[in-house]
Amino acid sequence: MSTQPSVSNIPPILPLVQDRTAAEVAQALGKRLSDMPEYQAFLKALKEINNNAEVQQLSVKIREHNTALQWGRGDILEHQAAMETLQAELESLPSIRVYRQAEEAVPRLFHAADEVISQAAGVPFASNAKRSGCGCGG
Amino acid sequence: MLTEELQVIARTLGEALHDSEPVQKYLKALAEFQADPEAADLEKRMLAMYEELIARQHLGEMLQRSEIDTFNTLKKQVYQHPRIAEREAALTPVKGYFAEIADEINLPLGVEFSTLAQAVRA
Repeated sequence: MSTQPSVSNIPPILPLVQDRTAAEVAQALGKRLSDMPEYQAFLKALKEINNNAEVQQLSVKIREHNTALQWGRGDILEHQAAMETLQAELESLPSIRVYRQAEEAVPRLFHAADEVISQAAGVPFASNAKRSGCGCGG
Repeated sequence: MLTEELQVIARTLGEALHDSEPVQKYLKALAEFQADPEAADLEKRMLAMYEELIARQHLGEMLQRSEIDTFNTLKKQVYQHPRIAEREAALTPVKGYFAEIADEINLPLGVEFSTLAQAVRA
């Protein structure tokens, strides 16, 4: 007679990853990276610009000109000039400057980690880890 | 830039990947390709021709049909070469495995590690 498993001894359902050891180390790496000051600064800067009314207003105006350009509405040169002016205004905002700095620091951090992984693996990691965008299983 | 702890974790991950079956099979296929001068030369010639044709095209030059045909023949020879075909076939499971592992890194981050790792400006 078989015994029913109790709620307390049902094993956890793990994601379908071939190698749990590598998967667990990968998760630990992701967690440590997310704790790094560079990453925390990036999240803070991102939150800041998402909540900044001036940034949002300028972004909406840029998108409006861009949409007009895509649909061929109005004067192309006027839209392009307006977009350049608005983009320059956007880039001059302190919150955007902080975000740009944070945005550059995170890829450098991840790149450094990728170099260590790739060197130990003997195969470039990040460039081979990107999923195909075609949805064709590649 | 990486803390000592991050270096250790990243190296441990790399070593686990290195010891995995897909990577071991790929490294074996890669070594066999590299030990075959004919295969290496064939691929080198194709890549050099590709670079040259693309560079000329970017400069606005119209390529001759015969040049494109020569390139396509060479490309076909490259893909049909057993050592190169084996290497490429061995790389496919590595890519799938690495993508799964990258998903595990992405989980706590909430962003794509691989994309950002490659977005470093020169």
